[in-house]
Amino acid sequence: MTIFDWQSELNRDGHRVVISGQPIAMHCHHYNINLQKTLEETLGEEGVQLLYRSVEETNYNGLQHLFNQYKKIRTLKSKLEMAALLYQNCGLGILHFKKVRPNSAYIVSTSNHHVTGWLAKHGRRNTPGCHFTRGWIAGTLEVIYERPLGFYIVEERRCKMQGDDTCVFHVKER
Amino acid sequence: MEGSKIRESKGIIPLFGVYLSLCATQYYNKLSFDFEEKMGKKRESEARTLLIGAAQECGYATFQGIRDSWEWKQVVAPMIDNKEDQILGFVAVAVAFGWGDLAVEELIPGEKLIIRVSDSYEARGYLQQHGLAKSEKCYMLRGVAGAFMDLIYGGDYPEGLYVFSASETLCRAKGDAYCEFIARKSSHRSDA
Repeated sequence: MTIFDWQSELNRDGHRVVISGQPIAMHCHHYNINLQKTLEETLGEEGVQLLYRSVEETNYNGLQHLFNQYKKIRTLKSKLEMAALLYQNCGLGILHFKKVRPNSAYIVSTSNHHVTGWLAKHGRRNTPGCHFTRGWIAGTLEVIYERPLGFYIVEERRCKMQGDDTCVFHVKER
Repeated sequence: MEGSKIRESKGIIPLFGVYLSLCATQYYNKLSFDFEEKMGKKRESEARTLLIGAAQECGYATFQGIRDSWEWKQVVAPMIDNKEDQILGFVAVAVAFGWGDLAVEELIPGEKLIIRVSDSYEARGYLQQHGLAKSEKCYMLRGVAGAFMDLIYGGDYPEGLYVFSASETLCRAKGDAYCEFIARKSSHRSDA
């Protein structure tokens, strides 16, 4: 099976840090969680949507670029593996794509950056909070199934930020 | 390395007392500039203050962790002669994090820090997404410049945070040749 070479994709281009030629930045949980909390508290659901759509679009562009570079990664299984590997190596967490179909999907995350960061800063919350991961999953599946941005809705049915054992995501067509 | 083991098993990068992640700069830029736009003209200033504050707290916590880390003590500390040298170490780490080509232009101990950046990812991102800006756009770096001074001269957390604040006097997003940040003691904290 062809899998992408993470170590050769993460590079420096002068002072820029790049993954597969696309500029990235390293940030800590304080910044990421501060941004999420700021958006949630200031704009409410609109802020949540803004965060979701920002990561959805960014991941859509990033993965599309990667899949274009790795033409041998063609099957659904290998594309999902590549996406999960990218998520993991970027320090975003672990994603298990359990059941993925063109019109629905079921994904479990056993750990992720935003859960660890949120719990460390604020403790448990009363609502699911993995908006970043929801957007990330939406962008991933839209690229894989060659659907336009916004095609899928990703709901988080269980969340470790609320005290559940895992985060569980359900995907359906909008 | 412990961090690598945890990255393998949990996909988390615990380093310097914080959890690090790698994200496309496009994500941060879209989030910040769309947030500013959503807040509208009336709440524009509030949006900027929130974005700068989020970065300043992050900068303070992250670089506090870095300064307390084993890596800093082993590699950086032996090269530090005075506390002002710490800022050069912080700047080197910020460059390594992909935040831009930061360089210290001037440092007056306890008073003023000037940092210049000719390729900030925020300015570059704004120009790419929206074209020339009417005002400065590097909110993250502005918060971080204030945090560097807080860490050296502000005192312990939480009182030491926001003792300093930075302005962005020049910004590439506005058409300037580079971005320039000047951190001074915050006007509302002049007693600190």
